[in-house]
Formats: sequence, C-alpha cells, structure tokens
Amino acid sequence: MSASQSAVRSRAEAVQVSRTLDWMILFTLFTVILGGYHIHYMLTGGDWDFWADWKDRRLWVTVAPIVSITFPAAVQACLWYRYRLPFGAVVCVLALMIGEWINRYLNFWGWTYFPVNFCFPSNLVPGAILLDVVLMLSGSFVLTAVLGGMAWGLVFYPGNWPIIAPLHVPVEYNGMMFTLADLQGYHYVRTGTPEYIRMVEKGTLRSFGKDVAPVSAFFSAFVSVIIYFLWHFFGRWFSKTDFIDGEGV
Amino acid sequence: MKTIKDKIAKLSFVALLLAVTSAMFYTPAASAHGEKSQAAFMRMRTIHWFDLDWSKDEVAVNEQITISGKFHVFAGWPETVDKPEVSFLNIGIPGPVFIRQGSWIGGQLVPRSVTLELGDTYEFKVLLKARRPGDWHVHTMMNVEGGGPIIGPGKWVTVTGTMGDFVNPLTTLTGTTLDLEDYGLANIYFWHALWMSIGAAWMLFWMKRPMFIPRHIAVSGGKADTLISATDKKVAMGFAAGTLGLLMFSLGATNEEYPITTPLQAGLMRGIMPIEMPESTVSVKVEDATYRVPGRAMQMTLTITNNGDSAIRLGEFNTASVRFLDADVTEDESGYPDDLLAEEGLTQSDNSPIAPGESKTIEVTASDAAWEVYRLADLIYDPDSRFAGLLFFFDEDGNRQMTMVDAPLIPSFI
Repeated sequence: MSASQSAVRSRAEAVQVSRTLDWMILFTLFTVILGGYHIHYMLTGGDWDFWADWKDRRLWVTVAPIVSITFPAAVQACLWYRYRLPFGAVVCVLALMIGEWINRYLNFWGWTYFPVNFCFPSNLVPGAILLDVVLMLSGSFVLTAVLGGMAWGLVFYPGNWPIIAPLHVPVEYNGMMFTLADLQGYHYVRTGTPEYIRMVEKGTLRSFGKDVAPVSAFFSAFVSVIIYFLWHFFGRWFSKTDFIDGEGV
Repeated sequence: MKTIKDKIAKLSFVALLLAVTSAMFYTPAASAHGEKSQAAFMRMRTIHWFDLDWSKDEVAVNEQITISGKFHVFAGWPETVDKPEVSFLNIGIPGPVFIRQGSWIGGQLVPRSVTLELGDTYEFKVLLKARRPGDWHVHTMMNVEGGGPIIGPGKWVTVTGTMGDFVNPLTTLTGTTLDLEDYGLANIYFWHALWMSIGAAWMLFWMKRPMFIPRHIAVSGGKADTLISATDKKVAMGFAAGTLGLLMFSLGATNEEYPITTPLQAGLMRGIMPIEMPESTVSVKVEDATYRVPGRAMQMTLTITNNGDSAIRLGEFNTASVRFLDADVTEDESGYPDDLLAEEGLTQSDNSPIAPGESKTIEVTASDAAWEVYRLADLIYDPDSRFAGLLFFFDEDGNRQMTMVDAPLIPSFI
C-alpha cells in the first residue's frame, strides 16, 4: 500500500476507525484534563476545596468559581471552534471531580485517614451544564462568557449548599460555639495547616448582615466572566493550526 | 562480540527495572516531623517547653491521653522570625492518628489562633483521643504566623485496637446526636453521584454519535450549523431547566431540613493569661560561651548571684527541648524522652551551693550527643550565632527557680 492510498477499504471500516479514534481522543482528552485541571485547581483553589472547614460563605464562594472556570472556557473554545461539540465544560468538570475523588479517597482517606466527610471536593457540575447549554444555544462566546460565566459563579453556592449545610449546624463545645465543620478542622489534626492559615470569613462585607453568600457569588460571577474571556482565548490559540511556508523552513 | 554487548545491555536494563520495581516495596515509615532540621536558633530562642507530661505511653482506640506542661515565650525572640502575635497551639502527629478533643492555654480553650506575649510563660494542655493503631511520635508544637512551626519534644505513644471501632459522638445545638467520623457521608456521596450522573448523561448524549473526525470535516467544510439539530437544542434546554429546577428544589429541601445553620467560626483570640511567675532571686551573667565542635559540648562561664534567702544550686540547662541535668542536683522523674535527656550532661567547675548574697563565677559545660543528633551544633552556621535557654536553680528544699540566658556563642573548631 502506498502512502497515497486510503487505510480503509469501505465506509463501514471508515466509521469503525472514526469511532475508535473518537474513544482514543476522548480518553486522552479526559485524562489530560484530569491531570492538568486537577493540578491547576489544587494550586489555585487548594485548601478551599480540600477541607470542609474552608468552605465558607465569603472566600470559598468567591475564589472557587473564579479559578475553576479556566479550563472549561479553554476546552469549550477548542471543542466548539473545531468540532461544534458543546460538552467542553462538563468534560472538564467530570474529569476534575473524578480526579479529585480518586485523590481524596486514596490519598486523604486511604493514606492519611482524614474522614471523607471532611475532605470532599466541591460540586461544579451545575455551572458546567449551564455553561455548555448557553454556548450551544447561543453559539456565541460573548454570550457564553457573560451569561454562562455569570451562571457559573451564581450557581456554585446553591449547588454545594445541600452538601455542606449539614456541616454548618452549630454545636456547643467546651463553652464555645462551633459549626460541625469547624470541629472537624479542630479534631482531625493537620500538623502542617495551622488554624491561622485558614482564610475564611475575612473581608469587609459587614453591611450585608448574614447574607454575604449572594454578594460574594455575584462578585465571583463578574470575575468569572472576565476569566472566561481570557481562558477561552487560550483555548482558541491552543486549537489553532498554522501552516508554515516551505521556503521559510 | 556485538551479541554479548547486546545481551549485557539487555540484562542491565532488566536489572535496572527489577531494582526500581523492588525499591517500591521498601517503604519505611516516616516517623519524625523534621524537628531536627529546623534551624537551631529557632528552637533555642523562640518557645521553650518545660515540665512536660504525656499522661500515658499506651492507649487503646477511643481512649484519651493528655499532654500538658508549660512553655516560655523567649524575650530575646530572633529578629528573623515574626513575633508570636498570631500563634496556634498545635500537636505534631502524623495526620489524624489522634483527634484533638481540646487544647488550652492558661485554662482557656484555644481552638483558634492566639496572641502570645514575649517574656511570658504559659501553662498548656492538649487532650487527644486515640483513633488509629500504631506507634506515633507525639510532639508539642506551636505554629507562629510568619515563623512556621516551632516543634517541641516528642514522645512515642502506642495506640492499640482497631480504627473501625473509633467513634466521635457529638450533640448539636439543635439536639441531634451524631458521629462526626462519618456524619453526612451518605449525603455527600448522594449529591456528588447525582450531579456527576447528570453531567455524564449530558456527555453520553453527545458521545453516542460520531464526535471528532466527521464533525471536524463538517466544520472545516462550512457545515457547522448542520451539526446542532433542533432536537439537540430541546434536549439542551431540558438539561438547563432540569439543572435550575434541581438547584432550587435541593436548596429549598436543604433549608427545610437544616433551618438552623451558622457561618464558620474564625478570629484571633487575645488576652490569654500567662502564669504569674515569682520574681527570680537569681541573676546570671554570661561572661562567655563557646561551642566545641569536636567535643560536642557547650561551655559557658557564668557569674551567678543569689539574691534570695536560701542557698541554691544550678541543676538544669534546657535549650531547644534538650535537658542537660547535673545528676548531683536534680533528676528527671517525668519520663522525659530519653533522646532529649542528658541526665549527667551538665557539669560545673563548682556545683556547691551558692549562699544567699553570694556571687560566684563558674564554668558550666553542657555536653551530650544530642548536640549532634538534634543538629543543635548547626547553630554555628545560623545567621544569628547566639544561644539561649533556661537555667533551673534548686534550693535545699527542692524549690525551683527559672532564669533565661541569651548570649553570643563562639564556635571552637580545634
């Protein structure tokens, strides 16, 4: 067979090869995202995502969506721009969450025995679905950034509240009030993470009384819009094909 | 010849693979906390731990152990380390092998960071409950913001039993009794599984049709619009509506189930009460101090003045948690860790009692392998070559007085 001949001899074979390549590409994409996005999120969101006693209504709500919209924006751009596939955000989030669950279960619990109810990851799926749907329906990155990015930031806290609410029930302990999450942080000793490192409930949003989470979510949503724009350009740049003039080689 | 070379190369490669693979089976336990690698001046001139007591050497899972004692916040705190304005009384253990049921400084529960004052001495207590079986090195520890962990002495504690038997019961302010060890776990698994299933369903909807090559050909051929059908859009709207609906439902149901929740508790605790230490009647002037590298010994010339009304003798020099004792004057009865205790490590040119009103200049030598083992000898390579520590004097009735020393140290290499 010469180089100019096709590797397949029938349409059925072509379909079969195409599907095989689909799975190979998807598997590679999934594992690359799992690794890359996971490292990115651990480095930027880190402790806010690791520990229940960091999941507060101010900084976690603010930081987590901002630092996590990055890869979904880039992968969405690539998959939509090149393939019109609207699952870029969901594939990222699923890869991240599967990676995180492997890490939390095997490392945090399996090796160091932190209870899973103390070190579970954040839920990012609702925002990812909305992001993908907005892109698919609008076909516009501007609208996706504005509407999808806003949705990404706004639904983060409600999407996680059913998971963390039980840990925010108050308890009296040795004459002081704690939430159960605070007590987890106090009971399950993290030798390398002293209490003062914990960045929770810091800030100046005091004039909103106890309703701080929506304000934080709105702020996070606005910044998520900007970050989406930035990272979607990375995605477009990454999926660009350049041909070099033969004379210039 | 080439065949032999090839065989050697092949066998070498196999041997290398075997060596790498077998190395994976050698995983010795990491049983220390880096206490020896911390700069010596940090350990000598920051927090001085003393009168420590580990209530038990062996406990079963669910049993408690108390670590109590005192720590002195050194007045000559090094310039290169942030002052202990935000500090946290921690415990140095390899992960949550115990849970910390309580920690107190000066009788005050300190679950959060505290402000400590230079020159003050504090009483502390940490209550632990055994969780995971094994032999664990349990250290006292103070984290200082801008300074890092200042680790104190460690003692081996054996935990027996089965981790599966461990329970951590609590009663909330809403009257619910629960086991914090696995509380809410089913809820966490449920919501994560549900949302990830919805995400997977969205993926499957697109994965069931050709994905990359045919779509790429279509997009490149200007037929991108044909790739999203009206049905696809309806399904997408369904996913979006379902997502928003589930969010609203779950939010409402959660608020109904947990009507009382509070924000995470945080904030610095000030006003921690130090121990009211009696005014020391002993004054000590360090005339000079040298560290003899070959002999692993520190020699000090001290002028000691007894301003009290009973004769005193120097019995102990405590620095960086290493205790050098003069066996003629005092002995340890607390079961202090052997590796940190030099029972006969303190020798004096004259250890006879110093009478009231008397001033005496003596040569004091603190020698022990601990200088080397605990890398205190590295002091000579530190950026601020000073030593510091606590001197304990005893009168005839066994009463004890504590005095701090802080002076330059000259190394002697011959």
